[in-house]
This record gives sequence, structure tokens and C-alpha cells, in this order.
Amino acid sequence: MNKQSITQYYRKHRKAIVTATSGLLYGGGWSLGYLTSFNTASAAILVLATLVGGYDIAKTAYHEVTNRTLGIKTLVTLAAIGAIIIGEYWEAAAVVFLFSLGSYLEGRTMRKTRTALQELLEMTPDTATVRRDGELQEVPAHEVKEGEVVVVKPGGKIPVDGTVVDGESAVNQAPVTGESAPVHKADGDEVYAGTVNQEGALEIRTTGAGSDTTLERIIRRVEEAQEAQSPTGSLIDRFAKYYTPAVIVLAIGAYAVTQNAILSLTLLVIGCPGALVIGPPVSIVSAIGNAARSGVLMKGGEHLERAGKIDLVAFDKTGTLTKGETTVADVEGFGVADDEVLSLAATAEKKSEHHLADAIVDAAREDPTAATDGGTTVAQADDTDAGRRSVPDPDDFDVVAGKGVIAHTDGHEVVVGNRALLDDRDIDVPSRVADYVREREGRGETVVHVVRDGDIIGAIALRDELREAAPRVVAALQDTGIETVMLTGDNERTAAAVAEEVGIDEYRAELLPEDKQTVIEAYQADGHVVAMVGDGINDAPSLATADVGIAMGAAGTDTAIETADMALMADDLERIPYAVKLSKATRWNVLENVGLAVLTVTVLLAGVLTSYVTLAVGMLVHEASVLAVILNGMRLLRH
Amino acid sequence: MSDTTQFRVLDFDCPTCASTVERALSNVDGVQHVEVHYATGRVEIEYDDSVADPDTFAQTIENQGYTPQPA
Repeated sequence: MNKQSITQYYRKHRKAIVTATSGLLYGGGWSLGYLTSFNTASAAILVLATLVGGYDIAKTAYHEVTNRTLGIKTLVTLAAIGAIIIGEYWEAAAVVFLFSLGSYLEGRTMRKTRTALQELLEMTPDTATVRRDGELQEVPAHEVKEGEVVVVKPGGKIPVDGTVVDGESAVNQAPVTGESAPVHKADGDEVYAGTVNQEGALEIRTTGAGSDTTLERIIRRVEEAQEAQSPTGSLIDRFAKYYTPAVIVLAIGAYAVTQNAILSLTLLVIGCPGALVIGPPVSIVSAIGNAARSGVLMKGGEHLERAGKIDLVAFDKTGTLTKGETTVADVEGFGVADDEVLSLAATAEKKSEHHLADAIVDAAREDPTAATDGGTTVAQADDTDAGRRSVPDPDDFDVVAGKGVIAHTDGHEVVVGNRALLDDRDIDVPSRVADYVREREGRGETVVHVVRDGDIIGAIALRDELREAAPRVVAALQDTGIETVMLTGDNERTAAAVAEEVGIDEYRAELLPEDKQTVIEAYQADGHVVAMVGDGINDAPSLATADVGIAMGAAGTDTAIETADMALMADDLERIPYAVKLSKATRWNVLENVGLAVLTVTVLLAGVLTSYVTLAVGMLVHEASVLAVILNGMRLLRH
Repeated sequence: MSDTTQFRVLDFDCPTCASTVERALSNVDGVQHVEVHYATGRVEIEYDDSVADPDTFAQTIENQGYTPQPA
């Protein structure tokens, strides 16, 4: 080893070397004094141990004093100097060594918490293969410009956010969404930087590179969340502001009264509420880091502490418990051909943006016998796909919110909607129509009536498949003692059928979007701590009303991340029990840490004032409690 | 012109250490705003780039006994 590398090694491991040297000197000095009568030599070695271990501490203490912050290093320095002055060399060396050891271990363990997120960032490759001027070039990933095409080989990591323009593959999106199963990607699909291309080569048109990628944005959010003070944390910080000066005053007072220097110095050593101050942030940083690696973005300690108290989870039905892909399950004509019913309904609904409307229009386009408009159908620009039929535009159309649409086409008035709309317009519902509707709704389907010039000519049953995981997730929440509720705009019968299929405790049907907020407020008034799960866009108001708003499938949508307290990057319902359990574990963890810290401080104070606890013991217990709290908090990293 | 720079300090060993570094950095000429986070070790400095430069900040952090890394 040459001189330069020795210096480098020393710099890197300075803390460990200083602590070890101080420890060895302390051990040597103590044995010498204990085993032999070389008391002066022993004292000299102990003072040396104090100096070696104490130099860095005293230096930081100096900075603390000049920057007018009152920290533990100042207190430890004062205690060590005091102990030497009164001739307690053993105590001085012990305090310094124990403190160095404690803070070395503290720094090491905290480093682990601090780097937990960095592992995610390291997923992004440094370079990208870009097609420029018809040639493939290797460039730094952050220099790729928007619109440029990046080529990713099978097995390679995707360096940018973008859209697939060529190729087909399975991509492991775990770093961004936390999903372990690879996702199929083909033309037009979005891919994220940091994810792994597992099978075929992909060509990707860049939409974001460098710091402007989804992964980078997520990590920035996560860090902001980790840095935000939790309510418990800020309460403790306010307490700590008064605690340390109070203990110093107590130390001076104690000395004035008892003339017992050791007692006063020991008070100084325990005057820093270390474990108390460190506990909550460590728990919360660990929990948020763990969640981030599983594709759950938690907004911060405040939300996490609240989420730990959740006792009721409300699910929006469409797109949350169900896949949100509504399809036409059945068309029934009453005195009119089924095809005609579908085609007429499609025309009426064509300009509507409701998801039921989309399903009807899609079905009409797929059905080769429907959507014939008296033989005058003209292919339209947006319907060029082979085998797809066009749907003509209506002459005019009006949406009746939550009920349906009223349109005019070819001189006919067409009404497509639910029973409420029919009742509003005094349209008579024959019993065979009502029977059909009841039968389909009993299967959890939604039925719309198709009315031409005041007569019901048919009905269309629409179905939104349940997510496969939904019953499992509801059961898992119930197992942890949480009530589950489904909120939906569907009618009573459909809702009841879906609720039974999922096994949910309660449901509220026929809700308009604003009613969902009212329902949540009512639960809150009953004393529940309510979490609301939704897509984060349509449900934004109810997510905001709930104590904890949980948005699903948030990876691509900034609005969802913005409004929610927790955002699930993937459309993965299974993350909800995980997130709820993690929040509960975090809340307990914070309480455990606070409890442990308060207990330590109380026992120490009592011990010092009754002279059971001396300087070295005080330091040992203090440092041990700090480490215990950090290690306890870090358990949440592996929850 | 106002500019922002970041460092990461992985070896903060107590919350007060982070506030001490925060005070020290805010005393550097040209620094307009400093945030030092104990939990994540992130240091963010907003400064007037005609007066101060990031090397001075790194030096200040080192003087306090901690190791700044580029973030």
C-alpha cells in the first residue's frame, strides 16, 4: 500500500478507525488501572483515548456552538472535559468511546435507509442507443431528445420514457409500478425508463429523458414525502427544543445544590433526547421507501400516520373493483331486430363520452349486421378498419347527467337511458321489458333502455368484468378488521349482485358523483377513518374528502398523484391491503419508538437523580436506545 | 442569477448535525435558501451564482465533518 492509498483509506474509514483506536486505548488504560498499580500510566492512556475519540466530536461541537445550535456533541464534549477536570479519566474515556461507537453505528444504519431509494435510480442505464442520421449511436441517456427513437435490445434496460413504435416484447415494470409480472408491450404502448425489456427488441420514440422521466418524478415525490414532518415528529421536535435547555438548567441547578459534579455531567450526557427525535423520521422514511419499491407512492408522514387509523375502505366500483372495460353483454329487441336496437342506440350515444356509450358504439361497429342506415352508410375517415362498420352521427343530442341521452336522427326521437330517465319522460315500461331488465341486473349487469318516439324498442345489457383480485383483496381487508363499502352509480339490483360477488360488507347504489362525497362524509361523521379507492381522475373530489385518498394506476397520470394521499403506480388492487397493513405497522412502529425513548429518558433521569446511573452507563443506555429505535424503524424497510 | 444545487450527505449521525450544517451553509455569502434533511441526507441550496459557487458549499459541508456527494 503506498502513501496515497493509505491516506485515502484513512479518509474513507476515519470514523471507524478513530472509534476503534479510542476503544483500544480505553480498554488498555482501564485494564492497566484495574490490574496493576500503574495509575498515572493508566490515567495518561485514558486521557489519550478521550483525546483521540473526542477530537472530531469537539470539532463538531465547536461548529454547533458557533452556529448557535445546541446538540449532543456539545453536551458530550462538556461532559468529557468536566470529567477530566475532576479527575474521572475512566468516565471521560468511556463517554467519548461509547458516543463515537454509537454515532458510527447510527451513521452506518441511517446510510442504509438513505440509500434505499438510490437503488431504484440505479435501475436507469447511463447510456442509450439512439437512431440518428440513419445510424445507431450510443449516447448518454440524459442527452436523448424528445422524439428521438431509442433501440433497446432484449434483456436491456429501457433508458427513456416513450412510446413503442416498433417491436413487441414483455417488459418488467417492477421498478416503476412494483408489479412483478412482465407486461406485454407492442406498437403504441407506453414504456418507462428503468424498466427491463425481457424478450424482443423494441424501438421507442422518446417522450422524456434524463430527469424528466416517470421514475425520476416518482423518486422526487417520494423524497419530498420522506422529508415532510409527521405530526408526531413535529410534536417531538417542539418538545426537544425545550427539553435540552431544561436539562442543562437542571444540571447547573443540581450542581449548585448538591456540589456533585458527576451527577451534573451525567445529566448533560442524557440531555439530548436522541431516540425520541430520531424515532418517527426513521420509521416513516423506511415505510415510505419500502412502499415506493412496491409501487405505492405515499405522500408523507402525516398521511401515513392517518392511514394507520383506517377502519373503513370505500371502493369506487367502476375501474377499481371492476376492470373498467365495459362491454355489451346482450341486446334484446322488443318487436324490433336486435341489430336495429344496437345501431340506433349507437347513433344516439355516438357523441357522448360516457363509458357505457363507448361500449355501445364499439359493439355496433364490431357487429357487421348492425349500423346500416337504410343502405346509405358512407365509410367515414375514423372507421377505416376492415370489418368495422360506421355509426352515423345524430342530428342533435343532449346528455341527462346520470340518466342517459336524448337524440334525434332521421326524424325520430331516440332516448337511451335508465329507468329514471324513462320515468321523467312518462314512458311506459311493459312487463316483459321490466322482466328482462331485472334478470340481467341480477347478474350484475347494467341495462339501458332504447326508446324510439316514446316506445321502448329494446334494451342493452352491459357488463364490466370484476377484477380477478377483487374478492381476495376485500377478504384480506376484512381479515384485518376493516369494513369495506362499494360506491357506485349503478342501480340497486346491479350493485347488490356485484357486491355479493365481491363479498363486500356494504354497498351504496345509484350515487351521482357528488353523492359519493356525501356518503364518505356521513361515514366520517359516524367516527370512521375512511380510505377511498378510485381512479384519481373522476373520483378526485371523493378522494380529497376521504381521510386517505388512494388512486389506482397512477404511473402515467400526474393528476392522480397530485390529488391522492397514496397512489398505486399499477392497476394492482392487491397493493391496497399491503399499503393499509404497512401504514398500521408504521403507526405502531412510531408509537413503539416514542414509548421506548420516553421510557429510556425517564429511567435515565430517575437513575441519574438517585445516583444509580453514572456518566458511562448514561452514555451507554442513551446510545443503545438510539440504535434500538433506528433498527426498529428499519424493520419497516422489509415489511 | 439565482441557481439551485443539491448534495447528498449519507453520514449525518444525528438530527442536530443536519441543522448545524444548515446554519453553516446559510452563513456562506450568496446563499439565499438552504434545506438540509436528516432523514434523506438531501441538501438543497439556492444561491446567487455571481457570488457563490457549489465548490464552496461542498467545502463547508466537509469542514463540518461530513462527506458531500453530488446528488
